[in-house]
Amino acid sequence: MTLAIEGLTVRYRTPGGDVAALSDVSLSVARGRTLAVVGESGSGKSTIALAVMGLLPAEAQVAAGRILFKGDDVLALDPERRRRLRGSGMALVFQDPFTVLNPSLRVGAQIGEGLVHHRGLTREAALARAVELLAEVGITDAGAVAGAYPHELSGGMRQRALIAGALASEPALMILDEPTTALDVTIEAQILDLLQDLKARRGLTTLFITHNLGVVHRIADDVAVLYAGQVAEQGPAREVLTRPAHPYSKGLLAAIPRLGARRDRLASIPGRLPDLRESMPGCRFQPRCPFAVEACAAPQPLALALGRPVRCHRAEELADAAWPVIAEERPGTRSRSMADAAPIVEAAGLAKTFTLSRGLSALTWESWRPRYRPARVRAVDGVALALCAREVVGLVGESGSGKSTLGRLILRLQEPDAGRVRIAGEDVTSLPQSALADMRRRAQIVFQNADSSLNPRKTVGEIIGRPLRRFAVVPPREIGRRVHELLDLVRLPAHYAERYPHQMSGGEKQRVGIARALATRPRFIVCDEPVSALDVSVQAAVVNLLADLKDDLGVAYLFISHDISVVAHLADRIAVMYRGKIVEEGRADEITERPRHPYTEALLSAVPTIDHAPRQRLRLGLEQPRSGNGAGCVFAGRCHRRLGDICERKAPPVRQPSATHSYACHIECRPE
Amino acid sequence: MTAFVIRRLVLVGVVLVAVSMLVFAITSILPGSVAHLILGPFAPPEQVKALELKLGLGDPLWLQYWHWVSRIASGDFGRSLLMDRPVYPLIAEAFARSLTLTVASFLLIAVIGVGLGVVAALRHNGPLDHAVSIGTYLGIAIPEFFWAIVVILVFAATLGWLPASGYEPISAGFGVWLRHLIAPTLTLVFAHLAHVSRLTRSSMIEVLRSPYVTAAHAKGLPERVVVLRHALRNALLPTITVLALDIGRLMGGIVVIETVFAYPGLGRLLVFSVQSRDIPTLQAAILVVAGVYALANLVADLLYAWLNPRIRYGRSVA
Amino acid sequence: MDAALPEVPAARGRRPWPMQLKAGLVIVATIIALAVLAPWIAPHPWDTISIRTRFQPPNATYWLGTDDYGRDVLSRLLMGARLSLAMGAGATLFAVAIGVPLGLAAGYFRGWADELIMRAADVLMAIPAIMLGLLVLAVTPPALWKTALAVGFVYIPLIARVARSVTLGLAGEDFVQAARARAEGAGYILFREILPNAWPPLIVEASLRVTYAILLGSALSFLGLGAQPPSSDWGLMIAEARQFIDRAPWIALAPGFAMCLLVVGINLVGDGLRERLDPRLQRHAPKA
Repeated sequence: MTLAIEGLTVRYRTPGGDVAALSDVSLSVARGRTLAVVGESGSGKSTIALAVMGLLPAEAQVAAGRILFKGDDVLALDPERRRRLRGSGMALVFQDPFTVLNPSLRVGAQIGEGLVHHRGLTREAALARAVELLAEVGITDAGAVAGAYPHELSGGMRQRALIAGALASEPALMILDEPTTALDVTIEAQILDLLQDLKARRGLTTLFITHNLGVVHRIADDVAVLYAGQVAEQGPAREVLTRPAHPYSKGLLAAIPRLGARRDRLASIPGRLPDLRESMPGCRFQPRCPFAVEACAAPQPLALALGRPVRCHRAEELADAAWPVIAEERPGTRSRSMADAAPIVEAAGLAKTFTLSRGLSALTWESWRPRYRPARVRAVDGVALALCAREVVGLVGESGSGKSTLGRLILRLQEPDAGRVRIAGEDVTSLPQSALADMRRRAQIVFQNADSSLNPRKTVGEIIGRPLRRFAVVPPREIGRRVHELLDLVRLPAHYAERYPHQMSGGEKQRVGIARALATRPRFIVCDEPVSALDVSVQAAVVNLLADLKDDLGVAYLFISHDISVVAHLADRIAVMYRGKIVEEGRADEITERPRHPYTEALLSAVPTIDHAPRQRLRLGLEQPRSGNGAGCVFAGRCHRRLGDICERKAPPVRQPSATHSYACHIECRPE
Repeated sequence: MTAFVIRRLVLVGVVLVAVSMLVFAITSILPGSVAHLILGPFAPPEQVKALELKLGLGDPLWLQYWHWVSRIASGDFGRSLLMDRPVYPLIAEAFARSLTLTVASFLLIAVIGVGLGVVAALRHNGPLDHAVSIGTYLGIAIPEFFWAIVVILVFAATLGWLPASGYEPISAGFGVWLRHLIAPTLTLVFAHLAHVSRLTRSSMIEVLRSPYVTAAHAKGLPERVVVLRHALRNALLPTITVLALDIGRLMGGIVVIETVFAYPGLGRLLVFSVQSRDIPTLQAAILVVAGVYALANLVADLLYAWLNPRIRYGRSVA
Repeated sequence: MDAALPEVPAARGRRPWPMQLKAGLVIVATIIALAVLAPWIAPHPWDTISIRTRFQPPNATYWLGTDDYGRDVLSRLLMGARLSLAMGAGATLFAVAIGVPLGLAAGYFRGWADELIMRAADVLMAIPAIMLGLLVLAVTPPALWKTALAVGFVYIPLIARVARSVTLGLAGEDFVQAARARAEGAGYILFREILPNAWPPLIVEASLRVTYAILLGSALSFLGLGAQPPSSDWGLMIAEARQFIDRAPWIALAPGFAMCLLVVGINLVGDGLRERLDPRLQRHAPKA
């Protein structure tokens, strides 16, 4: 056993009380294997990484337990020996590659410095080794990258560099704390490939922390599921993912939207995480567990069930039980009704360019002559989109695709540079902001970050009541009643009207945001990544809510997300965006099952999935700056199916394999 | 980087021109005729008129400004109303003396203040840190003129080590010159140490908490290396900002300090010209100060840009 | 691709007021009370000249001694407190009244208004504070209220800058976008969405600014450009006491220490307010 954690209990001192971040956690990682630790926020998974490395902050305290690294208890070591272990025996790759690299030092130096101090190499030797490692992690121009500063590299490159740094000292144990969470999915796929490759070549022993079960499926041998600071279940990844024993694992797996099983209702886990400041003698999952019985109030030890440790006394008997999908208050089939024919939103030729530097800062010098060259980004570049009533159009893209900007252009929260927008038949493109009141009533928006979208100084009642007041939706004395109705609609208790945002959880805040958007009875809502900032278990509930509301209230959504699985679950049609252009558009099943554009293809193959074997791996090249006059295909620089020069020179024609399906590419496909 | 430098220079130029307009505007537009101020409220009207004509106050404002600015630009700073001498040599001498004082104080403040701040941050929450914190808390509460009084009380009146005021040129002997310089320098240092060390401490603490410092610890680097190589390098940048801010305060400080210690520098000249309504000297002195301040800030900006790879090396490579 | 927001809501219950805040408030409140009640509680008349009682060190009759005119230092101290406090508060109010709206406008409307206001601020800040104050006071006969205005004027750009950066931060928040999505006018957004969130940091800044105003104003008085004799604020008291520093140090030391005490007290209040007001809005359960 390279790493064996026994009975680890860690507590954080906070002004509000002691938080039991980890309670009696026992895990082990065998040599050459990858253990994934899975949990949502508040599960304690990051604390494990910090505890093993000895990087716990001052407020944290190891109350009990041992951490055996190659047989020695690291907690008992003196600080100097502990320090020597770090970076040589065990290495940690952090989550956010953007802030973890020192902005003032060159990348190569940062990768090699561990070697200088642990192995006594000279600076030059360490740098040479760093270049070798950078090449090994798949960076083509390793020498240039080693000499570069962190701000000059993209996110994917930085993460590779960090991995190279971790490998530098040939550690016996690599710990990776959510290394791909901050990256686009196509880049994530590349990094996961790299990790698998390294594992095969070097026999790495890895502790991989993540919240994404799809990633677990891809790279883990074993998995431990954490809930509220305790291990809920542990075992070989394949077994846990196909036959989960603990109800929480069942719930998690049922809550994940899958590309294949579309449109069925997602299971959600009701309730919220327990407050770790309170002591909880019995099963911590009990309040949310559909299988709970009286005996759950007793302390639950980690016992063997189904051949592996599970913290549930009913595990054996529930072995084949699936997580129940609750229909909540509104049973009835989700109608697959065809969308109404009349379009509610019609946008054509929308474009928006952002100027990043203006005025004096745009002045640059070229061969001794001053030039005014402001940096410009074409966020949205000639996009047309239409939505019919009751329809959900999913807008999928990675960072920099322009999807959020497009949503705001349609609502005129940002002014388009070109193009026209019609909402409910009315051309709203050139109306002054003051004349947009009608349009604003009919078209609303739900934001991604629930923290930032609610005014911290207003109560929920005031937040939801304001649009009612502003648009005189109901007479003033009816406002209170209507607020309660809206809260009910989003499945929040009526007394929440007096609460302030900081008193609510993320999922609850998001529901308030939805209630606010619904207040004016809009016909169209732009949902800008509404579930991206939520835990998976909470995500499912909000997605279900949105689906139900669409059916009941007849609203159309433009559902913007980077997560194509979530989009595919809810959307009737999907549009895929890349760098300001829609590269493919069609019915949801057409896009997910018969993608035509190379980018869509790569995107779908990059998504880490749980059930079936991963699709054919299609990996994209690194990002290239847009060359020439921008006449060619936006995707040409990275395309794995690039035909030749024509892709950069000539704009790709729009092809239509079917009436509803269109894509822009030079490659001709068979008609469907 | 070149583009950055040129942009900055242009900005400084524009700001200085605007400052000259501001100075001119304030001294011309505020109520109370300048001539009355000079001659007193009981002067006969013909005298007032004559003075106004002499000072060119009958012309439209923009013309007056133009005359004034073009003279300044060609080096003619006008004549002092108080001493009836050309302003330029007055200011030049005073400036040289103030420069000595300011530079000496600045160096001491930079070294001691930054040093204290860094050490306090490294021993965060330790006894030294608490001592420094309390010291700075009190330090910023004591006005400069009070420090001056205390220094005079302790070093001159009670201990008799230093002269309470005055100035002797180097020609009178290096030791004598130095002795007259010490008390004002000491006062300035005491007065400004607190600000600098407080700001340095908090920016250092922030740097020590940043993710890359945690990452450096995660690599198992020795503490010394983490601090020197990772933390200090990045703490340099905010320190430059802190020091640049302090220059302005320091320059303001010489006004009071030179007055108290009768040190014949630019600060004391300014006060005299205000008290005696010597407008030409006042205008010229303020311009000189603004120019020097702008220059100092420019140097700080350039230093900052040079040390910050993001600005020095510009945009992305890969 | 943000990390998920923790599902556990913020710490419940009101946190007790920080120690600093309480201590600071005690100090400041005491001084203000003494200043307000000064005419009634001063043991001796503060402006009666009496040659016989000159230069008495602190004793039973005159708790803080007498000055060169035989006047009771304590009484003068109390009367001076009114002037110094009034000047500090007045200057800050003036600076806030003009600086905050300018900063709000610059931060919210951006564009040329922002450029204009920021460049103007740059120009004003190109001259060190005390010198700008001197410049303004040079062209008019001295009076304390003019000093207060001059000091306020000097600090307008600083306050505007702070207000602008606070507004910039808030204007980027989604709830402001949500308000625009309700076709709310600029007035509503500024006053009902942004300002309620802006005033905590602005209050903290303003309270700290009072200390600078008092220090700068006293410095100007010290130079003879503030209060005029016979009334005197603490700055002028110290100036007048300068020449007797070897004979009668208490005349200068008393107002000096009083000023330090006041400034420390206000700083404590400001820091305590910052402690109390900010974290409440950003509390999350610790990330696990």
